[in-house]
Amino acid sequence: MATEAALELDGVVAGYGQMTILNGTTFKVPASSITTVIGPNGAGKSTVFKTIFGLLKARTGTIRFQGRDITNLSPRALIEAGICYVPQGRNIFPQLSVRHNIELGAVAAGRGLTDMPARIEAALDRFPVLRKKADRQASTLSGGEQKQLEIVRGLLLDPKLVLIDEPSIGLSPLMVQETFAILTELRNKGVAILMIEQNAKSALAMSDFGIVLELGQTRIMDTAEAVLNDPRVAALFLGGSIEPKASGDNAPQVN
Amino acid sequence: MSTLINLIISGLATGSIYALVAIGFTLLWQTSQTINFAQGEFVMLPAFFMLAAMNAGFPFWAAILIGMALSMLILGVAFKRMLVDPMLKHGVLPLAIATMALSLAMKESVKQFYSAEAQPFPSLIPSIDLHVLGAVVSTQSLGVLAVGIGAVVALQFLLTRTSVGHQMQATAQNPTTARILGIPVERMIMYSFLINAGLVAIASVLVTPLYLAKFTSGETLGLAAFIAAIVGGFNQVRGAIVGGLLLGVVDNLAATYISTQYRAAVPLMLLIAVILFRPQGLLGSAEERTV
Ligand SMILES: Nc1ncnc2c1ncn2[C@@H]1O[C@H](COP(=O)(O)OP(=O)(O)O)[C@@H](O)[C@H]1O
Ligand SMILES: [Mg+2]
Repeated sequence: MATEAALELDGVVAGYGQMTILNGTTFKVPASSITTVIGPNGAGKSTVFKTIFGLLKARTGTIRFQGRDITNLSPRALIEAGICYVPQGRNIFPQLSVRHNIELGAVAAGRGLTDMPARIEAALDRFPVLRKKADRQASTLSGGEQKQLEIVRGLLLDPKLVLIDEPSIGLSPLMVQETFAILTELRNKGVAILMIEQNAKSALAMSDFGIVLELGQTRIMDTAEAVLNDPRVAALFLGGSIEPKASGDNAPQVN
Repeated sequence: MSTLINLIISGLATGSIYALVAIGFTLLWQTSQTINFAQGEFVMLPAFFMLAAMNAGFPFWAAILIGMALSMLILGVAFKRMLVDPMLKHGVLPLAIATMALSLAMKESVKQFYSAEAQPFPSLIPSIDLHVLGAVVSTQSLGVLAVGIGAVVALQFLLTRTSVGHQMQATAQNPTTARILGIPVERMIMYSFLINAGLVAIASVLVTPLYLAKFTSGETLGLAAFIAAIVGGFNQVRGAIVGGLLLGVVDNLAATYISTQYRAAVPLMLLIAVILFRPQGLLGSAEERTV
């Protein structure tokens, strides 16, 4: 992993109220790559994203984006820095039209952005389904179309880092393929992508790097291929656990 | 026939006032889960701001502007910062109860510091009877209806045609996602409190010449707005408009055709009918918060 890092987490501790979920999470996301985070349910994968994006406070540790300290910045400031976050589930405004939903992706740019109409047209060109339904209420879209809307909206300001949490959930296999194709296309344009996926096999197969998170700590960080073939990953997904080697050794194991 | 037209027009005029108050009521609910039981007193108070300004020597038009400004400041900003924000942390119900306490406090304050007597209030629109197609229609009704409709159209334009309006709707429909997109959610919520303060001040200017300014005059209005909001669908601005107009007309017809004894029961019967047969309201959809 000699590549320059787009995103770096170093010893991040965060949680909800008294509860600590991230216990010194440490990892790197190389630039122009797709990095997939896998791990058991409740490992803290979504919590990592919320902490990176300023929705949860990091109690200690640092988060750096392109070398710059972005720990605990507001979502607005992070969007302005070039980060976009597509959370798990449905994140649309159901009673607004598809077009208005997409337009709201540009709010953080303020009035400075003069080519907004052109950008929205280009986005609609790329996704014909959304163009066809541009003036309908967003609630009339299918699950896959809603996810596409969220992605289009997130890409409106040309982010340099995309955080995307379980995009394939509830999508048809064809839609999953299409979504992965969009992410690959972005990666080829130089965007760094950090993705969480339950479907570890197919996600790692299209990724460059893989991270295994367990109990809020990085257990494995390697190329996607190595993670895919790691016997410990199979063990983990069969209900086992990857223990740190020495007792008291809390440092994440980085291969 | 001519009386009927007359009754419908004056009913729509009163209904448009109900609608303004009901719209503000639903806006506060949508953007910050505030059930404002002091909404009627919010209509009562601006008239007293305006009376005080006139007593201080300002002309009527300037008094209206001063009343609007004070309303925004006190019923908008201060209400949100000093009552809603601290109480919402404890839940929707404690906040609702706090607004009930506020309504009592507002009534008592006006009684103590201004007067317990009903005060005459000048009318924005001169009252002249027009004879149209055999019906007698008062310019006052038409004027109230015009101002009410104007305010509603302007608000609908803001909400549906401007970026700020879309951001307000987004905040009401999905505040978490709104934040993730960098929408200034707190500012949007403040805007809805300012809009409510503006709407009640307009309603105050329109309604007070008809019923005089009195510390109790918010009671019936608050109830009417509450009923209008529920009849229309509680979570919809459009619903509040329809609910308000419908209630105004029904109320006015009941006053003429049903004995005065039962008149007060008619809005409540409308409310019960809607709750029984269409609990989501006339335009409402179940379990969704929208603007
Ligand atoms: N809003 C919340 N409040 C309290 N606990 C939460 C919240 N969200 C998640 N958790 C808890 O944090 C832990 C990690 O959750 P999460 O990061 O969503 O896991 P996952 O790896 O499946 O994405 C879980 O035990 C979950 O119950
Ligand atoms: Mg998750």
